[in-house]
Amino acid sequence: MISPGSLARRARGALRYAGGRDAPEVGTTPRELVWSRDTARLWRYRGDAVTSGPPVLVVHSLVSRSYVLDLYRGNSAIAFLLRAGLDVLLLDWDAPDEADAENTLETYVDDYLPRAIAAACTATGAHELTLLGYCLGGDLALLAVARHPELPVRNLALMATPVDFSHMGALSALVRAGRLNAADLVDRSGNVPAASVETAFRLLKPTAEAAQYANLWQRLCDEEYVAGYQAMNRWVHDHVPFPGAAFGQLVEQLVRDNALMAGTLELGGRRVDLGAIRCPVLSIVAERDHIVPLKAAEPLPRLVGAQDAGELRLRAGHVGLVAGRSAATVTLPGIADWIRGHGVAAAA
Amino acid sequence: MADRPLWRQAFDAAERALGGPAEAAVRSEAFNDALAAALRGQRWAQQEVERRTRRVLHMANVPTATDVRLLSQQVASLQREVRRLRREQEDAG
Repeated sequence: MISPGSLARRARGALRYAGGRDAPEVGTTPRELVWSRDTARLWRYRGDAVTSGPPVLVVHSLVSRSYVLDLYRGNSAIAFLLRAGLDVLLLDWDAPDEADAENTLETYVDDYLPRAIAAACTATGAHELTLLGYCLGGDLALLAVARHPELPVRNLALMATPVDFSHMGALSALVRAGRLNAADLVDRSGNVPAASVETAFRLLKPTAEAAQYANLWQRLCDEEYVAGYQAMNRWVHDHVPFPGAAFGQLVEQLVRDNALMAGTLELGGRRVDLGAIRCPVLSIVAERDHIVPLKAAEPLPRLVGAQDAGELRLRAGHVGLVAGRSAATVTLPGIADWIRGHGVAAAA
Repeated sequence: MADRPLWRQAFDAAERALGGPAEAAVRSEAFNDALAAALRGQRWAQQEVERRTRRVLHMANVPTATDVRLLSQQVASLQREVRRLRREQEDAG
């Protein structure tokens, strides 16, 4: 039975939530734009003291907003890495429009990423860096290093990065051969609309939204919970379109041919050899990840040519790798330790 | 269990009962075939409406969505060309 006092507190919470009042500001860690090209943006975050090098360049996914990595004060992966003494940069992507519809995977892997890496080295004065990819950003980082072993990448850390697309479940089922082609899913701008991306993610757990509302109702009196819910809820409904040409390659090669596993992926007429990756690699996988299931990410260390290729397996979900309590207590300390362990003390 | 209110226990039980089958359903061949057919149908209907209204709108000298799309494709193409030239200039300089 709900007491009148509890009901009143809940009503206040509900009003705050409905009015969007007290919604925490997202992406507040101070940063500056150090390089940009079309939709690609390279940010450098301002930390107190860098005690460990080389700088860390986080590569974000193409289909979601990067503020999930810097959600709000007290719940920010970026702020955590800064406090760990790392120099942190982020490469993210603004929403693509018609001019970006012809962007292929090569556009990202052969053009934006190498240029962003060069710009990151110039901005920090470093001669090498650690790449930290998240989700599809992990695939971009993986492919860039495989295709350009000359890039100054000291370490490669990849969070929830799918390589075996036969295990991507409902996300890939719709575009398997014989069903829809990539062209069927692009809109007039030539890109896959953000709403379709969101619907695809929602279909993965059809009852998740109802469960989230139940959690919210149960904890409406908890201001901290409601604030966190608002920030996360905003992110969950804030996707960006997927550039059409890159989506076509993803469907044809990564999903239908499962080309990363088969070793048959070709970009720019050249076969991608993951065995060419010799730098230390860490694959961070989440056991409860419903977007990139464990089986889709698990084979990664076996595919690269690095002798130092390991896995950090965590009892977390896809987003729990970078946001929330499990990120702050388990994932991020593990990642920071690995990066520092594979780095060097920063010059005073 | 004891900390959770009754309504929540009921909700969780229902979610446990429905969640698994719902997830299995969206992964099923039948669901994906149906969804693919629905999306194809929606696209066809959209194109059909556009085709049928185009003639009427053109008679009234009103630009159609197709005209706007063609224009924006031309702008996008120009934008890509500018980007390419800028890139070449940067690489050369």
